[in-house]
Amino acid sequence: MSKTNSVLRWFLALFFLAFLLTYALVSHAASLPGLDAEALLKRSDAFRNGWPAYVVNVKITTYEAGKSDEEHLYEVSQKGTDKTYVDFMSPREKGRHLLMLGDDMWVYLPDTSRPVRITPLERLTGDASNGDVARTNYAVDYSPVFLRSEKIGSVDCNVLELTAKRKGATYQRILYWVRTEDARPVRAEFYLTSGKHIKSATFDEYQPYGGKTLLHKLTLYDEIRHESHSVLEYSEATQRNLPDKLFYQGRADRF
Amino acid sequence: MKCILYIPVAALLVGTVHAQGTGSSDESQFKTRYSVSVIDDATFYGNLREPLPGVLNQVLVEPSFGLHYRDRLTFSTSLIGLTGTYMDNYSHVRVKEAYASDSAGDFDFTAGRKMVRWGTGYAFTAAGVLDPPRNPTDPADRLNLNEGRDMVKADWVRGRHALTLAWSTAALAPANTDLHDTTAFRYNVLVHGFDTSLITGHDRDTDSFGGLTFTRVLGQAWEIHGEGMWRDQAAVLLGGKFTMHSGVSFIGEFYTPPNTAYYRDMSIFALAGRQHFAFFNASKTRLRELPGWKEWDLSGSIVANLNDHSYAGVFDVNHWFGNHFSTYVHVEIPHGAKTSDYGSTPYSSATSAGVRFQL
Repeated sequence: MSKTNSVLRWFLALFFLAFLLTYALVSHAASLPGLDAEALLKRSDAFRNGWPAYVVNVKITTYEAGKSDEEHLYEVSQKGTDKTYVDFMSPREKGRHLLMLGDDMWVYLPDTSRPVRITPLERLTGDASNGDVARTNYAVDYSPVFLRSEKIGSVDCNVLELTAKRKGATYQRILYWVRTEDARPVRAEFYLTSGKHIKSATFDEYQPYGGKTLLHKLTLYDEIRHESHSVLEYSEATQRNLPDKLFYQGRADRF
Repeated sequence: MKCILYIPVAALLVGTVHAQGTGSSDESQFKTRYSVSVIDDATFYGNLREPLPGVLNQVLVEPSFGLHYRDRLTFSTSLIGLTGTYMDNYSHVRVKEAYASDSAGDFDFTAGRKMVRWGTGYAFTAAGVLDPPRNPTDPADRLNLNEGRDMVKADWVRGRHALTLAWSTAALAPANTDLHDTTAFRYNVLVHGFDTSLITGHDRDTDSFGGLTFTRVLGQAWEIHGEGMWRDQAAVLLGGKFTMHSGVSFIGEFYTPPNTAYYRDMSIFALAGRQHFAFFNASKTRLRELPGWKEWDLSGSIVANLNDHSYAGVFDVNHWFGNHFSTYVHVEIPHGAKTSDYGSTPYSSATSAGVRFQL
């Protein structure tokens, strides 16, 4: 009997120790700011989307073998998390515009006879894809999971794994490094459904716009053609009262 | 007729005065847009069957200007200045678009000459009742020669629903067109990924019409579209686009219009009966995967009349030099019996080469 009691006591002690250990691990993990991955992702999105409705200019400079190759200018109007309208301003693209409504995307080309529906694959074309310009609310498109904490250079970061949760997402999977201090995006790796690592991004500069700190410079590295990268510079971000009509899919006859 | 045109313009101006009272002060009052395109194009005809010149030279100057006031009022104009040499020298100016519009609440009002694109087809359209005509051997209108329709249009847009009522007059249409005054109504809605439109209307002195269009994206790489229109008889278009991982796109369309006055192609015999057409295109813009080919665009198409087995092959190459200049070659090779749709073309090949400047 006493032997049985002794074994039971050992089991009880072990169970108590395991409980304490689990509690310690869980409470330590809960104290990490990065573990509420959803909240963290929403906070990081705020560095790219300052207001519920806004307009921002985007200049994309593409570099080939280290040399500036070409420039593209866009005016991006965004309302809510699922409405984006992109006006192409460069001479060779003038007259084009792109509309994103939820999971659906259209491109309006002046030299085609109709608005063209864009398939998910077409969102990936170009050094900086249509999706890179038009879809910047990751919390809407992806489910985040906290992976680990690590340093990028001297910056303490939380690493999130984002998995596409809707078909409108540009990539299937993103590894996302956000600064521990304030969830500011630092680095990202983008993966296709096939698992191929297609692009990487560094979030290089932030600037104050209208009382908010917003992304100013982002560099996208092509992981397939390693000699190519694109720099996206955001400027003149302004809160605007944008009418729903701007985001109407049937309005091919835009200004 | 002119009085009728003045009424909507006057209504628009009244709306303009009303609209000036609103608008947030932090927004700029005026936005302007402009662009200029200059094209020097030469077309060489091979094996002409008729005593016609073998070369057509054209210079086109196409300025566009847009003025936008407080996100409410828009004035836009786009002109085409064309000088050419063929059987003789000619010069003229066309108005591609010139319209004013006022956006008030959920409504948009437009008056003037305007391009409207209701059809979903790429090379053909059955339901684009106010659209510029589609040319399946040049669906992209490479010289930008298409002109809008003169119309008064009211749009009501809320969420993903939109109603449009348009009245277009043929009074100012070019003399060589067979347009009628058209009253048309469209309901457009995005539902379950289907961008769908119901279109109905009436052409003065001819017939009424009604139909439906749709587009839908399927999976990662497919887009499908279609049009059905009843105008005396049914006209049907079905098409799809497939995009590869490499960025190469394929477009295919099947189109069957009745051989009625409205749908008949000039080269089709009046008693030939219902026609069936097929179109296939493969294209790739920017061959960035090939070293040194990033500035090249390639496209190849074939359009066939399935009734008389005639067809035309079309090949386009475009090369950019910087942001403003590009050169292109456009080749059309028709084939078929001399009385057939594409075989009746009076040449065995047409090769166009040109330089384009865009600002």
